[in-house]
Amino acid sequence: MSTDRTPEGSAALEIEDLVVRYGKGEDVLRGVSLELQRHEVVGLIGASGSGKSTLLRAVHRLVEPTSGAVILDGVNLLGLAGPELRQARLRMGMIFQEHALVGRLTVMENVLCGTLGRTGFWKSVRRNFEPNDVEEAFRLLERMGLDGLEDRRCDELSGGQKQRVGIARALIQHPDILLVDEPTASLDPAASARIMSLITEVCAEDGLSAIINLHDVPLARRFCPRILGLHAGRIVFDGPPSALNDEILTQVYGEEALESYVGVRSEGTRVGD
Amino acid sequence: MYARKGHALATDLARAWRPPPRIESRAVRTLIVVSVALYLLVAALTVEVDPGRIREGMSRAGDLFGGWLRPDFVTRWPDIRTGLLESLSMTAVATAVGLMISIPFGLGASRNLVPGPVYVVCRGALAVFRAFNEIIVAILFVAMFGFGPFAGVMTLVVATVGFLGKLLAEAVEEIDSAPLDALTTAGASWPSRVVFGVLPQVMPRILGLTLYRLDINFRESAVIGLVGAGGIGATLTTAFSRYEFESVSAILILIIAMVFAAEVISGHLRRRLL
Repeated sequence: MSTDRTPEGSAALEIEDLVVRYGKGEDVLRGVSLELQRHEVVGLIGASGSGKSTLLRAVHRLVEPTSGAVILDGVNLLGLAGPELRQARLRMGMIFQEHALVGRLTVMENVLCGTLGRTGFWKSVRRNFEPNDVEEAFRLLERMGLDGLEDRRCDELSGGQKQRVGIARALIQHPDILLVDEPTASLDPAASARIMSLITEVCAEDGLSAIINLHDVPLARRFCPRILGLHAGRIVFDGPPSALNDEILTQVYGEEALESYVGVRSEGTRVGD
Repeated sequence: MYARKGHALATDLARAWRPPPRIESRAVRTLIVVSVALYLLVAALTVEVDPGRIREGMSRAGDLFGGWLRPDFVTRWPDIRTGLLESLSMTAVATAVGLMISIPFGLGASRNLVPGPVYVVCRGALAVFRAFNEIIVAILFVAMFGFGPFAGVMTLVVATVGFLGKLLAEAVEEIDSAPLDALTTAGASWPSRVVFGVLPQVMPRILGLTLYRLDINFRESAVIGLVGAGGIGATLTTAFSRYEFESVSAILILIIAMVFAAEVISGHLRRRLL
């Protein structure tokens, strides 16, 4: 499904010295740089308020970065506007904390919302979507284990089902990259592990790269071959899960939070097995 | 024994608590209460309560109520029928046109959807629409377009846009922004975001408010008729000025019946559609 638009070897996404400042207050991101390689799944960990969500939202320009660059295929997204920006956005599927579906629309409509960037306005108003897109939506629903639910309203679904509709909506964009913001925040431990393996499987099968924000370190260790630690708007760790030790976690989460992290770890181990 | 002693001790040491006064100074509080009371007394004295006129009014009320106990639907039926049908079409047209105009204004007056200048212009326009009571707007339109239902429809359109536009904007400002962000990240344009992200969330409110406004517009159509803007109100004024209280009674009963019918129908629609 993934079309190899990027030349072999080059990064799928480059973020250079990204700064985000809200109003006159303190910087939320203080110069974040990272390269996301093709087919690479990166887990982004950090305490609440460390800037994890802001980083993903800034890459998508939901938050306007103050300075820096976000480079997709050699093009800086911060210089784009209008239709060009919308085309670039189509290539980065975003999966949200709390799923962000339109509750009063059907499952099918929510999935097809992922095609709005390439569907004409009046066609979409009349729900006259491209037959190929509709067929693909059906296939994605089957792949997500949601077949037969296409006409259900999204607010009737369970939390895990909603999250899978959100994944289908991101995939129908035909993205090269998935940006995933706390996909397990509203799910119980078992459902969290299922959603994480679904996302990582999809990335492997479709050859996508992904940045996944996680507050749950054990989940990040288990599913992400590369982990980034964000602390107060700066990247303080970049390496494999095996390199994550208590010292580094203290750096990422801060002195006082280590104890609660240990709690998270023991709970997570139970869940993981 | 010991326990009782301990309890007494606790009472002695108990700390008093009163809610903090809204106005700190006792003198200022007293001054405010006294001056408000004085003003009300003086104001009441300027109203000129005249026992003689009240007595006269009571006997006239007898005629009025006497007429109302014998409603006459027959004598003026052609006038009443024309007036009612006119009111109904004024209501339907004004509500539909008003709804169509209020949607763009309502979206434009939502802080979370549009840039600052658009917001200010739309909010301002909606405030102007609501600035005057329907009667004043009706007098204005009657002066502009002459007597008849056209002035009435214009009046109701203005009132409907002011009402629906403002309440729609408030509903839009309360929506969940996460689905809108999701549509943005899928490359959706502004109109697509409105159609797929905003309207589904506010549709129940739009429907409920429109049904409510339909109801208000029918009642208003009776009121603005009094100043010449057509409809059942015009028939009502004519009957009043001819002292035909039996016909007045019939008209009022019909208005009540229509409002009841509207209530039943809108309740039914709400249950079916929401």
